[in-house]
Amino acid sequence: MSRPNDLVQGTLDLLILKTLAMGPLHGWAIAQRIKQLSNDVLNVQQGSLYPALHKLESNGWIEAEWGDSDNNRRAKFYSLTSNGRKRLEQESQSWERLSGAISAIVRMA
Amino acid sequence: MGAVVGRDLGHRTHGMRLARMAKNRLRWLLRRNAAEVEMDEELRLHLEHQIEANIDAGMSPADARNAALREFGNIGIHKEQCRDAKGTTMIDNLVQDTRYALRSLRRDPILALTAAVTLAVCIGANTTVFSLIDTVLLRPLPYPGSERIVWVSEHFNGSRMDVGLGPDYYSMREEGRLFEEVGAYNAMTVNWAGVEKPEQLDAALTTPSFFGVFGSRPLLGRYLAANEEGAKAAPVAVLSYAFWRSRLGSDAHVVGKTITLDGLANTIIGVMPQGFDYPKGTQVWKPIEMDRATQFPRLVTRPVRILNIVARVKPGVTRPQLDAEMARLTHVIHNEYPKDFERMGFLKGMSIMAVPLQERIAGNLKPALAVLSGAVALVLLIACVNLANLLLARAGARQRDIAIRLALGSDRGRVVRQMLTESILLAVPGGIAGVLVAAGAVSALNAIKPLVLDRYPAIALDSTTLLFTVAVTLITGVIFGMAPAFAAARTDVQDALKAAGLTHSSAKGAAKLRRVLVAAELAVCLVLLIGAGLLGKSFLKLAQTEIGFAPERLLTFAVNLNGSRYVDGPGQVQFYDQALQNIRRLPSVQSAAVATNVPLGAGTFSSMVFQVVGRAPLPLAQQPSTDVEVVSADFFRTLAIPLLSGRIFGAQDSPASPNDIVVNQAFARRIFPGEDPIGRSIVNGPALHRYTIVGVVGSVRSANLGEPPPTVIYHCLRQGGNQFLQRMKFIVRTSGDPAAAVRDAEAAVYAVDRNQPVFDVKTMEQRLSDALAPQRFDLLLIGAFAAIAIVLAAAGVYGVMSYLITRRSREMGIRLAMGARAEDILQLLIGESLALVIVAVIGGLGGAWALTRYAKSMLYGVTALDVETFAITPIILAVVVIAASLGPALRASRIDPIQALREE
Repeated sequence: MSRPNDLVQGTLDLLILKTLAMGPLHGWAIAQRIKQLSNDVLNVQQGSLYPALHKLESNGWIEAEWGDSDNNRRAKFYSLTSNGRKRLEQESQSWERLSGAISAIVRMA
Repeated sequence: MGAVVGRDLGHRTHGMRLARMAKNRLRWLLRRNAAEVEMDEELRLHLEHQIEANIDAGMSPADARNAALREFGNIGIHKEQCRDAKGTTMIDNLVQDTRYALRSLRRDPILALTAAVTLAVCIGANTTVFSLIDTVLLRPLPYPGSERIVWVSEHFNGSRMDVGLGPDYYSMREEGRLFEEVGAYNAMTVNWAGVEKPEQLDAALTTPSFFGVFGSRPLLGRYLAANEEGAKAAPVAVLSYAFWRSRLGSDAHVVGKTITLDGLANTIIGVMPQGFDYPKGTQVWKPIEMDRATQFPRLVTRPVRILNIVARVKPGVTRPQLDAEMARLTHVIHNEYPKDFERMGFLKGMSIMAVPLQERIAGNLKPALAVLSGAVALVLLIACVNLANLLLARAGARQRDIAIRLALGSDRGRVVRQMLTESILLAVPGGIAGVLVAAGAVSALNAIKPLVLDRYPAIALDSTTLLFTVAVTLITGVIFGMAPAFAAARTDVQDALKAAGLTHSSAKGAAKLRRVLVAAELAVCLVLLIGAGLLGKSFLKLAQTEIGFAPERLLTFAVNLNGSRYVDGPGQVQFYDQALQNIRRLPSVQSAAVATNVPLGAGTFSSMVFQVVGRAPLPLAQQPSTDVEVVSADFFRTLAIPLLSGRIFGAQDSPASPNDIVVNQAFARRIFPGEDPIGRSIVNGPALHRYTIVGVVGSVRSANLGEPPPTVIYHCLRQGGNQFLQRMKFIVRTSGDPAAAVRDAEAAVYAVDRNQPVFDVKTMEQRLSDALAPQRFDLLLIGAFAAIAIVLAAAGVYGVMSYLITRRSREMGIRLAMGARAEDILQLLIGESLALVIVAVIGGLGGAWALTRYAKSMLYGVTALDVETFAITPIILAVVVIAASLGPALRASRIDPIQALREE
């Protein structure tokens, strides 16, 4: 029902991996960080966020650990695995290739 | 993008990732409850953060909470999606689906029962036919590299003669390039002196190479050595495992001992292992007394040996290569014949060909098995259509339930899976019961097998067959579940939830199709019922046929005289005279006789062509022929064959009066219609041997009971035997149970000569039952199909009526609300199923009328359009249909009109 229409499928994975590359975060914080970094352009809905997190986790690209968040609340912190780091590198490269190609076409028109 | 990247990953990391994924999923499954709790907690935390953020933005706590919840959406769906992302749902869903399916099946026991019964019958039939195919076609012969063993036969103008010739064997050995080994054998019987009493054994005379062809090592000792070939071979014998075990008590020191066969001592040189059984049933193998010098070179002036040739081809030889080699060898063989032989035009159509041994063994049954497996597959398909109908009827009733599930966010794939799980579960009891049905059918087949499938090993339900049944059951479940599952998945949520949901635009067409299908099923069923009826009636008529003699209290057995005392007539006659005297002295015996043939038994076949003295001579091709029997004087009295005119044999018949014959009534009627045959003479052969008819007796039917009795002339044994009297049958009329006289009668024969075994011991009642075996087999087969058809037709009618009634419960409700009584509804619905029957009966009678004429050869004493059968079977069909539709119709008549109308 709540498909990530606002984001190209797969880019969300890249965004999450990129965000986690800067350090472990819990779900809410990931969404906030993406929103911040994109100057409020990218608003990740929880309906997309959590399935994506669980998928990345079961693929072994990120791992989760329970820890204390601010206000001493227990939260699930996600962090990048070494495979996740490799994956991020590959995804970034192909993203750059793709976005470069798209912008070349857009500029031409 | 992901896919491209994924492919770039090395195998190792990919494998590792897979392993971790598997581990994760497993862990997740095991700690599912913990994981659910964690997921709840994670999502709740997210919600709390959102609320805080909203408060920070200046909302009141209540507004902040509402806004957060609104933004968050359906928590259940998020969780579902998280579960999907983890990929654990497959197993999870399966467990859930199974539990749900079991629950819904329990609610509908009639459906479960219908499915179990129809599938038990159909899967049972398929399993039976498969086990037959497995036994005959699929299971390899029990010899190492058995696929390389071929059977070689002479062909004439393309048709297989099923024999080879002595010279062919030598040509193949000497000229063949693709054979590892070529062997030859002749099957025969030998007399064994026995342990307690003499026995007749099935033997094979073989070349030493015969054993090399099969490649089996002996269990004890050795088999024939290369020099044990030909007339000068030492008298040695190789025993079969079965014979060694059952007759010699598995004697471990048997090698080197002697065994007396046909009066000669043979040294036992070896025992073959269990499973070495070629030709089938052989108990002892001995050297063949054939030499190259007697067979080669090929001359027209001397006889060649007729034998069987088997060969082992070299590894890797293909069928086309083998065919080319046989064509080359045929050419070689043609060149070996003298030129004058070729001029007779004999060689043109002659060739030798090789086929895999298994193909030769299975050959005759292949087309029949193809037809049979097609038939049972079709039957199963019909059963699937029936069950699909039933499930569709139910899916109709459950449409709303499914629509609600869809509306609540269940995806359509999930609904399809759910329905398929249900149909597969529905098929499982049928599959299990099917195995039981097949076990029964297989043992019935094995019981009747010796008489119709003698050459084949026992049919068994082995692991291959069970695997087949499991596969068929699962596939069946998917097939009949497919239509209802997809119909369910296509459910339009809005329509189904609106009141009018139950009237689909396509429903009318589909319902019509269903009715046509069931009518067709009923018609086919009627054709089969008529077929079974005609065969059943034929069988009864045949069993009541006037056979021409009194079969009760008769004991019959055979001897095959062997040894120097019995090479000529007087020696043979003396043996029979003494044996008969001994038997007649027994207190339980009323009379006894010997004959070349026992009525209803397969014996030596002898016939001659003749001309009637006093009539214009006929060319050979137009001369009549008749069966010839030699009997002892008491033959007619013992069998109670009536004398119609003249005299039967008596004391006056002796070698001095060799020309008096007795004929049967069939002979008299055919050769002397309207004349008195007594005193007339017939002549036979180039020597113009002359016979005079002294008596006419009643005709006796042959083993082929449906045929009119053959014409027979009888010679008297006392007139002097000939070499054909070594094999004779004893016929003994007892005063009590004939089976009880067996030991005494055997002892009476052994008192004459201890070395002549008695075999083929049977009462005449047994022979009568054997004679009916082919008909019983036909009846069994078509009866089974008719039974299957009627079960299917009943299930079909039940399914369609259930379906119609679900679809029309509103209509029934209105009718009842308008004042219709339950009887009216019942009448209406039964009327509708009777309309089906009428259509089916018209079609079925037409089909039977067109088809039964082809079964004429299987019928006896009834016409192909027997009025009784054609009248009674439709009534049976109608009764079955009414019984099958009664349940659904009763249910419809009990519909509560208020509820029916409200439901819609």
